[in-house]
Amino acid sequence: MNPMEEMRREEEKLLRTDRLPHVWCPGCGIGITLNAFLRAFIRSKMDPNKLVVVSGIGCTGRAAGYVNVDSFHTTHGRGIPFAVGIKFARPDLNVVVFSGDGDLFAIGGNHFVNAARRNHDLLIIAVNNFTYGMTGGQHGPTTPTGAYTTTTPYGNPDRPFNIPHLAISLGAPYVARWTTYHVNQLQNSIYHALHKKGFRVIEVISQCPTVYGRRNDMKTPLEMMHYFQKNSVRKDDASFEELELKYNGKIVVGVFRDIQGIPTYEERYEDIIRRARK
Amino acid sequence: MKPGYYFWSGDIAAAEGAIAAGCRFYAGYPITPSSEIAERMALRLPQEGGKFIEMEDEIGSIAAIIGASWTGEKVMTATAGPGISLMNENIGLAAMTEVPIVVVNAMRGAPSTGLPTLIGQGDLMQAKWGSHGSYEIISLYPDSVQETFDLMIDAFNYAEKYRVPVMFLIDAMLAHMYEKIYVPPEDEIVRIERKRPTTPPEETLIYKADDDLIPPMPRIGEGYKIHASGLTHNEKGYPELTPQAQEKLVRRLNDKIRKHAEEIWKVEEYKTEDADVIVVAMGSESRSVRLAVDLARREGIKAGMLRLITIWPFPYKFIEKYNVPYIVAEINYGQIYHKVREYTQDVELLPKMGGEIHKPDEVLRAIRRMVQ
Amino acid sequence: MSEQNTKSLKKRGKVTIDEKRCKGCWYCIEYCPTKVLQVSEHLNEKGYHPPKLVEEPPNKVCIACHLCELYCPDFAIVVEEIK
Repeated sequence: MNPMEEMRREEEKLLRTDRLPHVWCPGCGIGITLNAFLRAFIRSKMDPNKLVVVSGIGCTGRAAGYVNVDSFHTTHGRGIPFAVGIKFARPDLNVVVFSGDGDLFAIGGNHFVNAARRNHDLLIIAVNNFTYGMTGGQHGPTTPTGAYTTTTPYGNPDRPFNIPHLAISLGAPYVARWTTYHVNQLQNSIYHALHKKGFRVIEVISQCPTVYGRRNDMKTPLEMMHYFQKNSVRKDDASFEELELKYNGKIVVGVFRDIQGIPTYEERYEDIIRRARK
Repeated sequence: MKPGYYFWSGDIAAAEGAIAAGCRFYAGYPITPSSEIAERMALRLPQEGGKFIEMEDEIGSIAAIIGASWTGEKVMTATAGPGISLMNENIGLAAMTEVPIVVVNAMRGAPSTGLPTLIGQGDLMQAKWGSHGSYEIISLYPDSVQETFDLMIDAFNYAEKYRVPVMFLIDAMLAHMYEKIYVPPEDEIVRIERKRPTTPPEETLIYKADDDLIPPMPRIGEGYKIHASGLTHNEKGYPELTPQAQEKLVRRLNDKIRKHAEEIWKVEEYKTEDADVIVVAMGSESRSVRLAVDLARREGIKAGMLRLITIWPFPYKFIEKYNVPYIVAEINYGQIYHKVREYTQDVELLPKMGGEIHKPDEVLRAIRRMVQ
Repeated sequence: MSEQNTKSLKKRGKVTIDEKRCKGCWYCIEYCPTKVLQVSEHLNEKGYHPPKLVEEPPNKVCIACHLCELYCPDFAIVVEEIK
């Protein structure tokens, strides 16, 4: 028997170990993020049978395939509305959307915006690796201006999303950003977010050495990790400008919004049912 | 609803039929001529303890109902052609992951934005072939408000029984037409529930089919550790990207419908027994064709009508059954016509591009031409 | 974890590496505060060099901080506290 099975039993039980090693490249930050998520969930002592993980398509979209709970690998960009259906039908379930930046903010951007506006009770773990990894490293909605990708061979003319600012503007009650360097902070943040209600967004700046780093002077996993390590600054009250991610610039991390008491869509609908049945 | 007589539109009957079938979850986005279905569901579902949500678009709507279906609810969305075009990727997901859903398409004049308030039948092929890949769905198409209500219950039963998307077609005319309708008492409504696994989670392969080719479907939250993916998958639900897994899965997804086709087929054979010519028609168009058949009979022409109620899987045995010339009267430039031609050479298309159904005398003239 | 960190200087750990899962990113080597891990010379079945323990006690000793475990993207490391 694999010694891991005995020693790290709880986490192993939450993994579909018969599918490991996973598809992610050496040094990919998605595995670190998934590791942090699973540990946060174990610490929460919540019932794994009530946990649902939903992913879209892409590298991060494969996360649903490795968690040994009810898990759904949906279509590109549709993780959030799929999760909305589950949560709205069964509000007692703990529904987490674990997906990537291209999936959540480009093709799925409309769903993110509207689900946040309605304040569905979902935890969104948005892994931002600045690129479309699965398709070979094209630029996406989060690629910093100036960055080199396979579809921005002369540098990226686009402006990236400012994800925490976007989420805050939509009224999301919990908004945080960490990098995969911040393993403890990330785990703690997920742990806290699991105990809160409403549309909770945690952006995880993650490394894709294989198709992003190597075109932007960070050829190895460690070089990307060093970039996060050297350039991250914690500032919970950061301004819009400070939250913007510039090419090879500072990465402001922290918990930018943490409020409670905004009714979720699911709670408001309970009231609708009461009124309809009068 | 209490049993008795009502005066409803096709849209209202579709919504009430769904509720009568046990639908308790609706996600949708407004679009003419289906919007009244959403309005009725918004009013009625919370009264029944169900859930209604207006999503940000049709893509979100269908994704939400697929998710909700995994919780064990009977689910529906409704739209028109442009919305179906947006939903098609996820109709493929529902077919591939075998999720029971009912999708109503109130067909209007097309292509593109076309004639939003007027009838079309241009989505008949799209209903079957809309998403990429080889897969089977079930598609039903009533011709009256009463049949809309009754057939909707069958639609849900098929979706649940075969774990398949059911495309419920109506058209702009039927959607907005009001007729008297009878709602039967509760104990006369037959409801079929999806099969659930009978084995404990640790012994269950969630995509292992029974002899009927249909796997029992677990619900979220019961410990089955479901994994569903639109990727080609094995009996565990895990992605298995091999020609062998593809062969096994895609064959089964199609065969589970094809092998049960005769149970799914519904047609109306109107004066066909002795017919010398048969007009194939569907939906509102058949109401005009029925009159044309009667007018032809008055002239001594033995005409009949074969009304397809099940459009997909295509009820080809009813075409093969009669050795007579066929006319296919449809509100498009030839769709089901091609399907009929697969089974007989003696067939003529009577098309109309949309906006109205054929006038009875237009059909009558075609019948006369055919017997000359 | 912070509680553990303050106590960790007194703690001792045992690192186990599941070589089959390792993809050789070496984060574990980089972020080990006592540098008990190093790159091994051999390849695993996927063709990566997994980490191995430096065998120079008592200076280089695992203090059971679990950082390698947290940084490992491949679920390939486990740290056990030695009682």
